[in-house]
Amino acid sequence: MNDVEKLSDEEIVEVVRSRDQELYAVIIDRYQNKLLRYAKNLLKDDSKAVDVVQEAFIKAFINLQSFDVRMKFSSWIYRIAHNEAMNVIAKYKYELPIPEGVDFESEEDLVETFSKEETREKVNKCLLQMPMLYSEPLSLFFLEDKSYEEISDILRIPIGTVGTRINRAKILMKKLCQTNQK
Amino acid sequence: MIKEKIISQIQSGDVKMKPKYYFVLGSLALACGIIGLTILSVFLVSVVAFSLRTHGPMVVFRFEQLLATFPFGVVVVAIVCVGFGAWLLKKYDFSYKKNFQLLIVGFIVSVLFAGWLINYTGLDSVWTRMGPMKEFYKRYDGGAMNGPHSRIMQVRNYRRN
Repeated sequence: MNDVEKLSDEEIVEVVRSRDQELYAVIIDRYQNKLLRYAKNLLKDDSKAVDVVQEAFIKAFINLQSFDVRMKFSSWIYRIAHNEAMNVIAKYKYELPIPEGVDFESEEDLVETFSKEETREKVNKCLLQMPMLYSEPLSLFFLEDKSYEEISDILRIPIGTVGTRINRAKILMKKLCQTNQK
Repeated sequence: MIKEKIISQIQSGDVKMKPKYYFVLGSLALACGIIGLTILSVFLVSVVAFSLRTHGPMVVFRFEQLLATFPFGVVVVAIVCVGFGAWLLKKYDFSYKKNFQLLIVGFIVSVLFAGWLINYTGLDSVWTRMGPMKEFYKRYDGGAMNGPHSRIMQVRNYRRN
């Protein structure tokens, strides 16, 4: 089992596809919590998040032969989870509250001033109040530690757009967090 | 909990991996579809250009005749084909790291250019005389290339070349 732990996601996928399907459990172990956190941030509903993650793992397994092992598996599985979450949102017609009176004038980077853990907690709280357009890239960046390129792969948007949305999200977060603290 | 559920579904065979050939065939079909759609769009643009050309000069004065024979259906099909091609590009994520608008404009310009090239080189005239599309092209042949205007057109083409 220790040998398996040393393998990269892409190497495990290769083994699952060719020899041992049960090794897929290692992939689930690696991504279950991360995807649950990501789905919860999107859906704001724990039970639906569990369903989404479960469905994402099943779809990923069914379509595993279409995965190109030269690409990053993590971006691929996050993309599937994203699509599943979007389907659920469309199905239940989630209406996320869009805060009023928000502007993007401030350029000050609030995030740099927080420690990592503080930032995580604050980001988590503020994300609940943000429109999904900004909350999703921000959660991928801060909570899931994804690079701009990975976020671009997951959300299927250009890297420049990822940067713009994250910058705007930071400003939005500053406004929201400050409002919460008052 | 999630892990146990999924692994038991895999073990029981309720969840099965799709075979590799399924995706290979899917990719091939999609590629053929896009290539076919592009060829069809080029062909339809060339038919429209051919119809306009074979109605000869002084088209405005023979507007009614042109309207009567103009392949409006073909124009609609060409627009639908281009639109469907654009939708395919967007849906299957070929374009997410590229400028999608530029890709679409490039596609439309390429189709129009290819249609014009067929018209310019006179390939469509060749197709009215031979090949599998002979009858189809004849339907949109305004006759200007064979009638009283043909001499003018021939001289114009001669000068152009």
